[in-house]
Amino acid sequence: MELPFGFGFISSTAGFDIGWSIIPYDPTMSYGRVYLVGIVNTLILSALIILFSTILGFVVGIIRLSRNYLLAQCARWYVEFIRNIPLLIQIVFWFIVVFSTLPAPKKSYNFLDIFFLNNRGFYFPAPVFEPNSSWTVIVTLLACICSFILSRKSRTYRKRRGKRLPILYPSLLALLSFTAIVFIATGTPIHWAVPTLQGFNFQDGFFFPIAFSAAFVAMTIYRSATIGEMVRAGIQSIDSGQIEAAAAIGFSPFKTLRLIIVPQAARAILPPLINIWLTIVKESSLAVAIGFPELVSVFIQTSLNQTGRAIEIVMMVMGFYMCTSLSISFVMNRYNKRIQIQEG
Amino acid sequence: MAKQQTQQNELLKFVPRPNRPPITITYGPVGWLKKNLFGNIWNTLLTVAVFSLLFLLLKPFLEWTVLKAVWSASTRRECLEISPDGACWAGIFPWVNNLLYGLYPDNLQWRVNLGFAIGLLWFLPLALKKVHQKMVIALMGVILFPFLANYLFLGGDRSIFHYTIACSAFAYLLIVYVNIVLMYLCGKRLEQYLEPFMARFSQKNTTFLAHVTIWLLVTVLIAFIFRNQTLEHVPVDAWGGLFLTLIISGVSIVMALPIGIILALGRRSEMVIIKWFSICTIELVRSVPMITVLFMSVTMLPLFFPNTMELNKLAQVLVAVCLFAGAYMAETVRGGLQAIPRGQYDAAKSMGLSYWPTMILIILPQALRAMIPNIVTSFISLFKDTTLVSIIGLFDIMLMARNIAIDKNWLGLHAEPLVAISILFFVFCYTMSQYSQRLEKKLDTGR
Repeated sequence: MELPFGFGFISSTAGFDIGWSIIPYDPTMSYGRVYLVGIVNTLILSALIILFSTILGFVVGIIRLSRNYLLAQCARWYVEFIRNIPLLIQIVFWFIVVFSTLPAPKKSYNFLDIFFLNNRGFYFPAPVFEPNSSWTVIVTLLACICSFILSRKSRTYRKRRGKRLPILYPSLLALLSFTAIVFIATGTPIHWAVPTLQGFNFQDGFFFPIAFSAAFVAMTIYRSATIGEMVRAGIQSIDSGQIEAAAAIGFSPFKTLRLIIVPQAARAILPPLINIWLTIVKESSLAVAIGFPELVSVFIQTSLNQTGRAIEIVMMVMGFYMCTSLSISFVMNRYNKRIQIQEG
Repeated sequence: MAKQQTQQNELLKFVPRPNRPPITITYGPVGWLKKNLFGNIWNTLLTVAVFSLLFLLLKPFLEWTVLKAVWSASTRRECLEISPDGACWAGIFPWVNNLLYGLYPDNLQWRVNLGFAIGLLWFLPLALKKVHQKMVIALMGVILFPFLANYLFLGGDRSIFHYTIACSAFAYLLIVYVNIVLMYLCGKRLEQYLEPFMARFSQKNTTFLAHVTIWLLVTVLIAFIFRNQTLEHVPVDAWGGLFLTLIISGVSIVMALPIGIILALGRRSEMVIIKWFSICTIELVRSVPMITVLFMSVTMLPLFFPNTMELNKLAQVLVAVCLFAGAYMAETVRGGLQAIPRGQYDAAKSMGLSYWPTMILIILPQALRAMIPNIVTSFISLFKDTTLVSIIGLFDIMLMARNIAIDKNWLGLHAEPLVAISILFFVFCYTMSQYSQRLEKKLDTGR
């Protein structure tokens, strides 16, 4: 069992299959590729959870502050129930009790003939890029960059002259029209591949396996409760005098929300929100319990069992999580510093 | 002129305004309903919508859990025959023992109960009013109780040292309770009766000496009484269920505090090596998922020990969980330390206290007191996180619950055990979180 320390095994053939991956993979590829597949799967899962749990969390947080007692209490008990039950139990529950008992592909739940949900996973249309689609992508990106620069310019203009330049609608219009022109001129090179039932399974399109869906749903719900609590605390931390002052100078409720409440609440919410996002990236490793091929599952479990290189593999996995955590916290802390009030 | 007069009179004529509508009541049950649920048309619509949605969601749930549930059956097939779309709680009852104790032998489970009862009894006096030196009792509990618990749970031939400490722990608890009873009855403690006798031998610290003497005597007595009793050995592999979950979370929260304090102090230290070691440990552990720390401990720890030595899985897991909980606790402690005003340090310094006395006598007591709610919160999250040990194959309550589904009588019974342990976890965690919130309010107003 005495293995010399070294990372030579990375280039040797892995030889096992991975159930689901976004980047192309087959068993003849190396352990390095397995590492990459695990990283991409982890990142996709956590990115989706971060996005949806943040949205859902804001909704929950705002509902908790509703003046309607029944609605507020519903949100409160939602939060209490979700956050006091271990995440792992919730993940396993969604996987075994909900997603595994869905009907077979032939009888799958059908939404508008483009989304399908069955016991293999969630099928949805995927964009197909033909060779000359790159022009459309490039033009869209250029338009985005231009409108970003324009918005910066307008901000400096506003600061100097005190006048607002119309910016949102022109840039949106330009973005859409340029993209549309190029898209049509190059012969509509992007289309949607809609999943269709062929034989026992769906072809075309893209799918998330049930393990992915269960992990996604469970963690999104779990974290939405935490984020909801944070949002509530953030909004409640604003002095009520601020809102009254806004009303006194004639702000509409929407304007009060956009210009008075949100910027101040954001200062209170952002630092804990960053922490939760980091936690989500780490927590996505719990999907290993239901066999979703994310980093811990493909690398620490399968690859480690095959190669026996415990130290190297554990180091690589921990290294990935550390790099992700540190880079997210670095970027977000810089952003956080920018929006906090500069005191003294 | 006269015309003008009449015009003015007409203008000034009193014209009553229409009556104001009556004030909407905002008190009493009706007022409350009007204010909170049916204030205006939107609110009313919203209330009705939420109410009907709740009804739609809760009705099937209630039907499944209670109305159509089966409470007694011998197999799952029987359950399904009685009521196909209700919960089969009958499957849980034969497994309750396993869910609570794992594979701990039935006839020895009193030892586990006794251990936990002693643990509860130990910390119960802390809530009583007339008890002196609560800090000492708590500290003794943290130091001595694990030996006693380990002696009870593990059994088998332990060393004489272990046996003595277990006996002394039992003796200590006995004395504490005798003292409590005496306090309430006579207002005097046991050692105070012995004080005059002790004064013959020594002038100083008579109370302390009396206390120690009584403790030693009772220890010897207990050790003598139980000298022929040997407890049957129960290997760690047989531990499981809620018992194991509580052991892991209990040990790790107790160990997390000293580890956390040391790391937090190290982080603020002026010695560069200690400072960087602490920072690296804290940041490294905090930036990786708990499951990788568990895997690291299970796969890497054996590499650092000789092949002949066999590590049990529980010990490996405990090392990992303690390290993990310690790193998180370090940040909690740091928060508590930062909340201490600078003046406290300066005052301690001007009194001529050096580093350790400053920390132990001035800073830490204040910081820890302020941190109690946070500690409870981290205990809750740790308690929930212990379910992760099921991934690496320790039979905690989660894995036990999942095993019901592969019992041949209850094949495929997945939902009910998960719901049952969810309810258990909810009750535990919700009570603790309410307690911590109450504590937080109390501490806030106490300032």
